[in-house]
Amino acid sequence: MRYCLSNGARASGKRAEVSLVLAPRRSQPVEESPAPLAGTGGAILMTTGHVPFVHRDPEEAIVLAAGLRTPQVRAGRAFAGEDAGHLGSALARELLVRHGLDGSELDEVLFGCAIPPHETSNVARAIALRAGLPARVPARTVGRGGGSGMEAVTAAITSIRAGLASACLCGGVETMSAYPLLMGPELTDLFGRLSRTRSIGGVLEAWSAFRPGWLKPRSVGLESEIDPLTGTSRGAAAEALAEEFGVSREAADTFALRSHRRAARARDAGHFEEEILPWLPLGARDGSRALQHDEGIRDGLTRDSLAELSPRFVEPDGTVTAGNSAGSGDGATALLVATEARAVELCLEPLARVRALAWVGVEPARSGLAPVFAAARVLESAGIELADLEGVELDEAFAARVLACAEAFASDIFGREELGRRGALGELDPERLNPGGGAIALGRPVGAEGARLLLTTALRLRREGGGLRLVTLGSGDGLGGAMILERGNG
Amino acid sequence: MIDLRGVPAPELSPPPGACLRVERPEPGLAVVVLDPPHRSLTVFDLPLLRDLDGVLDELETSPELRGVVLTGRDPLHFATGIDLELIENPGETERILKLVKVGQRIGDRIEGLRARGIRTVAAVGGAVSSGAYELALSCGRIVLADDPGSSVGLPETRFGLLPAWGGCRRLPRRIGVPAALEMILRGRARSARRAYALGLVDRLTPPGYLLRIAGDIAMGRRSCPPRGRRWALRWAIDRNPLALGWIGWRAWRRIARRGGGLDPALKQAVRRVVPAALEPRTRARDCEAVALSGLAGSEACENRIRFHRLEEHAPGLGRRSYGSAPTGIDRAAVFGAGTMGGAIAGALAEAGIATRLFDHSPASLDTAVHEHRARQARRRRRGRLEEHEERRAIDHLAATALRIGFGRTQLAIEAVTEQLEAKRAVFTELASSMPPETILATNTSSLSVNAIASGIANPGRVVGMHFFHPVPRRPLVEIVRGERTEEETVTVAAALALRLGKTPLLVADVPGFLINRLLCPYLDEALRLYAGGLDPLRLEEVMRSFGMPVGPLRLSDEVGLDVVSRVAGSLHVAYGERMKPCEVLEPLLDAGHLGRKSGDGFHVYLGFAPRAEPRLSSDVRRLTPPTSSHEEFLDDEEIVDRLCLPMVNEAARCLEEGVVERAEDVDLGTVLGLGFPAARGGLLRWADSIGTRGVLDRLEHCATAIATGPNPERRQRFEPAERLRELAAAGRGFLG
Repeated sequence: MRYCLSNGARASGKRAEVSLVLAPRRSQPVEESPAPLAGTGGAILMTTGHVPFVHRDPEEAIVLAAGLRTPQVRAGRAFAGEDAGHLGSALARELLVRHGLDGSELDEVLFGCAIPPHETSNVARAIALRAGLPARVPARTVGRGGGSGMEAVTAAITSIRAGLASACLCGGVETMSAYPLLMGPELTDLFGRLSRTRSIGGVLEAWSAFRPGWLKPRSVGLESEIDPLTGTSRGAAAEALAEEFGVSREAADTFALRSHRRAARARDAGHFEEEILPWLPLGARDGSRALQHDEGIRDGLTRDSLAELSPRFVEPDGTVTAGNSAGSGDGATALLVATEARAVELCLEPLARVRALAWVGVEPARSGLAPVFAAARVLESAGIELADLEGVELDEAFAARVLACAEAFASDIFGREELGRRGALGELDPERLNPGGGAIALGRPVGAEGARLLLTTALRLRREGGGLRLVTLGSGDGLGGAMILERGNG
Repeated sequence: MIDLRGVPAPELSPPPGACLRVERPEPGLAVVVLDPPHRSLTVFDLPLLRDLDGVLDELETSPELRGVVLTGRDPLHFATGIDLELIENPGETERILKLVKVGQRIGDRIEGLRARGIRTVAAVGGAVSSGAYELALSCGRIVLADDPGSSVGLPETRFGLLPAWGGCRRLPRRIGVPAALEMILRGRARSARRAYALGLVDRLTPPGYLLRIAGDIAMGRRSCPPRGRRWALRWAIDRNPLALGWIGWRAWRRIARRGGGLDPALKQAVRRVVPAALEPRTRARDCEAVALSGLAGSEACENRIRFHRLEEHAPGLGRRSYGSAPTGIDRAAVFGAGTMGGAIAGALAEAGIATRLFDHSPASLDTAVHEHRARQARRRRRGRLEEHEERRAIDHLAATALRIGFGRTQLAIEAVTEQLEAKRAVFTELASSMPPETILATNTSSLSVNAIASGIANPGRVVGMHFFHPVPRRPLVEIVRGERTEEETVTVAAALALRLGKTPLLVADVPGFLINRLLCPYLDEALRLYAGGLDPLRLEEVMRSFGMPVGPLRLSDEVGLDVVSRVAGSLHVAYGERMKPCEVLEPLLDAGHLGRKSGDGFHVYLGFAPRAEPRLSSDVRRLTPPTSSHEEFLDDEEIVDRLCLPMVNEAARCLEEGVVERAEDVDLGTVLGLGFPAARGGLLRWADSIGTRGVLDRLEHCATAIATGPNPERRQRFEPAERLRELAAAGRGFLG
């Protein structure tokens, strides 16, 4: 009930009451509480009749057969001259050619993209054609906000399950650098009137209403950060979550630092070599070299330099800073998804099986916790416990959010009241959470992030000798997606 | 009735009236369709001209005619121009003059229809060139099918001729003197869009609507304002003697700089085009006719037409002996991302072939990709490409430093360093990582294809593809057939070269193949003349006025002095004394002067301003001063002889050894590969114009002159080849 209360309080703007609500700590005594109420906030029951996918028949297993990604780059930097079509197609071309495929083997191409370029709204089709795939292979662009990359894989699995396909090229692509600036409604209206009028009088009249203030553009990138239903930005939501779960600024900074350190370690260990295709971006200056790995990893980052940054949303006491959240980024990831039988037929060595997947919805205001709900759902449907997993990959949009989710994972109260379980989902071992760093260090091209998490996890499974791993993420509009990947030992 | 007696008629000439038909889709409109049944490509030959004349008789007397549309048998096939055979075998100038007058008369009569109140519209499409466009010009309006296959051009000067069916008169009036001059002197065809922008045509329309729109215009239902030049400009420039004088002078100077003496056609064109808007029409018409008949018999014209025929036959190499074309290459790989490798990969990607470029060094890969993208961006800036074409070219080049992903390659070209061991290593690797049917090509310039191919499984698929530097600008590719190369391999490689827009030339696997083997004595002789005290600027000047695009020293710079030295060294090893390189280059190379690429060679290349003429480097005389003054006072003809006769001699040896099959191949190769002037018809054609006897005498003369000089040992290259002696003794030329 506590969570319902807190939501109600927030909705009515009573900030004071919110602070009274105790953040659920594991150390708190476990209380009996009634079953969560439908429609009042975070409950798994809110998901519509979505039947989670679980694979049981090993013959029909669906696998991530291969994958590759571009380096990820902060928006407006090295990939500023790239377009989503080129990013995706050059990657797809390389992925196919490396595995001896020419594209005719594929049944569909699916790419996730949160905001596709206006000139190619079905950017997957552009990618397929530019990658040299036969024109008869259909393509679709799928969208689920920050979950688009995982949605592409979900959609492929659905198609395969429905018997429509046996091998698909999936992935996510996002060039946030190329998000457009829009003219305001007044200016749009002015140009509309100008295009309709022919007389000089009409032209003058239209211009006479003009105000210089109209020239202020609207940024699609910034506006997409704000949830239109609640009016809060993703950052503010993370900030609220931090407050609710008592995530301190220090903890968030420590997490961010850890993300950078881990990413740097993974890079130095050469883990990215099998994952990333070196990339010479379009528009690169003459004489510049190809990018070998993600550009956002900061080797010289210290706790002090992180501490110096001022909070972005709640000054001066907030938690979320530019340093401990993932900025907007550009990048693409491509995966080959196929049935195991088809993968073998195509001489591919599958990276991992998809054991189970689930999507859930929560109140948009609590979208930060969506990964927890999704994880609970997917674990339940797969019939396994958190402890059975080798590791968890959790979308790192904000350090505060990851830490809040970790709290929620470990909280008995949360487990009972929100997830309808007997107790907590289980404690997330920090060592096993995002062991190779995450979006804070690597950058976060929204639509590609889901696919990137799957690729990273699948490659880690191959590298570390198998087991079960969970990938879970949330998108800003209150959706959570999770997949369990599995690979036999050895 | 026109007088066509004496003009040769083609075989199987159809009966009068069969070459075109007049359709009357509605009262008052006549659609004249050129459709000669005996030709797959409509060209203006005797039967067609005769019928056209007959139809005009009919149209002129037709009472209620209001509009005439002149069109071809298909919206994208109007006519390609005059039948070259009519000019190719010039008998007396009388006949040519007659032919020109026939065309002019037809054009004038079409123009005359306008005076009778009849609207004339040319509805054209496809490649509309020379005579076809000139006749279209005589119509009131020109409507062009808007299609990538459509182009408009007046290529006559490329054949040493002049657009004499009204092109020189009507084009300047239509688009203005400067544009017309540019168009006629360059002889390059313009795409549909470009033609419309320039005002060469009045309207564009999709091919399917061509006839309907043209009919509407002819009947006055649809207005079509002329795209011609504004009257203000017409008076300010085209009829302004001062402006014309300046334009003429500029054009004259440009022609003179490019070995203008060779091509009387260019100067004639300037003479005819510049005053076009001022001269009375009849006078202009007669001058045009006389000018053309003078040109038609000229040697330059004959050579150029002959060369055109050679080029026309070159694509035969890309087809199997029974005529079918091999399956096109879709996926290619290039190994080695150096200057050549990168450029070859870029050319492949531009042609729409998915190309994978491999190199060990990521840095050279990056450079190659940068180069490729920059080139596409340049071409786009110059309007050669649309944005989507640029994207396509960029998409088709993938660079990788990993040896994976080559399993589906259909053809691989190797362009690594010129060392036998390196090349063999690459080839062994290629053979193991690619399917056994993948064609393996080597872009070697001095190594033996046989040696590179040895030890490869399935050696029938190995072939040499020798591209020249800089790849995008050099139109020739030597296809080197090794001992065991299969016919099919050669065909596929030649077809690929053609697809890249290059002309393939089949040569045998001998050191230097054909072009470098000829080029080597030429460049070396130039260096020796420099060492002998000849003024380098004079040397360059003489060869340029001979017709070479650049002088030999500049050419060495362009190729790269290190490359010249290396190739010369390897040919010396292969052919002995007669290819012995002189030592002029050593000090330059030691000082790091490598030619164009290092910015400093015989000339200094300041910055990269493409138009700036490089000036002679002052360092050269300091670093490698002339060793004697023996050659200082050679006259122009002697200079040409010293440089070109060793080439002729070497070409004779090549023919002896069967490096190329026919003497014509040498001509094709020297014009496209060495820039030998096409107006001279190629190296052996030039030699024939002197006569084999004359060549022999001059070689002897050179040899005696050298014998007294400081480097008598190089006499060997002036020792006449066996073949040359035989031909001279038999009183025959190289070309039969």
